Amino acid sequence: MKERDIKVLLVDDEMDFANTLAQRLKMRNLKVGTAYDGEEALTRLKEDEPDVVVLDLNMPGMHGMEVLAETRKAYPDIQVIILTGHGTDKEEEEAKKIGSCDFLNKPADIDYLEQRIRKAFRKKLESTATSVAFDKEEKFDALTKDKKPIIKQTL
Amino acid sequence: MTDNFEQELRFLQLRFIGKILAGFTHESKNYLAIIKESAGLIDDMIKLGKSGEEASGQFLEIIHSIEEQIEKSTGLFKFLNRFSHRMDTQLSAFNCNEALEELMALVNRFANQKRIELAKDFQQDLPQIYGNPSMIQFLVFSFLEEIIKTLDKNSRIIIKTGTANGSVMIKIIPEGNLLEVEIEKEEFPYETYNTVLERLNGKITPEAGAKTFTFPLKVSDI
Repeated sequence: MKERDIKVLLVDDEMDFANTLAQRLKMRNLKVGTAYDGEEALTRLKEDEPDVVVLDLNMPGMHGMEVLAETRKAYPDIQVIILTGHGTDKEEEEAKKIGSCDFLNKPADIDYLEQRIRKAFRKKLESTATSVAFDKEEKFDALTKDKKPIIKQTL
Repeated sequence: MTDNFEQELRFLQLRFIGKILAGFTHESKNYLAIIKESAGLIDDMIKLGKSGEEASGQFLEIIHSIEEQIEKSTGLFKFLNRFSHRMDTQLSAFNCNEALEELMALVNRFANQKRIELAKDFQQDLPQIYGNPSMIQFLVFSFLEEIIKTLDKNSRIIIKTGTANGSVMIKIIPEGNLLEVEIEKEEFPYETYNTVLERLNGKITPEAGAKTFTFPLKVSDI
């Protein structure tokens, strides 16, 4: 996948913030979708299959931590960057434990954010490659389960 | 009053002020973040060499958005400033509607987090009362906070003012599903709040199965 095809889902209840930031990221050749709450974000994950999610924490309804946990559980390859206005050390620790790849404070420098998104994307590619490799290995194991002694004998 | 009571009250008041400030800084930071991104977008557009009628329209749109955010934050600053100055004097004649409107603006965020609407139903030409407005705000906030905890999302809380029997009445009325939430006595020291209101010549009156609270306060004769 070429870098220009990086798909980002921006999740923030502040619509003006999300829309403006989305425009700026689009100008940097990223494909950006927006969701304005946690529930919508989970629907968009299924439909859009983003590579990277940029996620706010304090949102009405579903909290960002819940969205993070759900995302990591259902789509372990998708990388999540927390972008919050009021991140505490405790929250950062918790987010990292759940599986966020980055924790940034609002407002973040746009070039820095872009750089982190690209880094997260590379991490996703590595993660996907590893998953595929594991998957192939598992399939091979399953296929050769009964034939292993024969293979051994032949060798 | 015992030292314990005073200590507890002091703690609860400081906690209240802390919460108000945390909510205020959160909101302000959001406005500033939008302004920063909007200014950044203009910067991006200029660097990309965007010009012409279409670009001018976009620039104006962004500028209006910045103005709107500044207006919103100025409003919030005004409320915080008024809220802070109420603590300058312990007792004063004041209008309950104004004190409540200010409080609602500052706590709206807490309700929004649970998608609960804070609505006002204020009696116009409400007579002034003489007392401690900060203390009234503190009490209403404390009850609001507990109601928000126990109310299901997508509900509504109405704050109503009116007059009856020579008193100004403040009513907090939750509308929506109430959740079965166990609240520890330490978390919600009802008796402490009641004692505070008694000091202000009022008494908390729970209604509708203790879900609606009324605070009657003597009208000022000053």
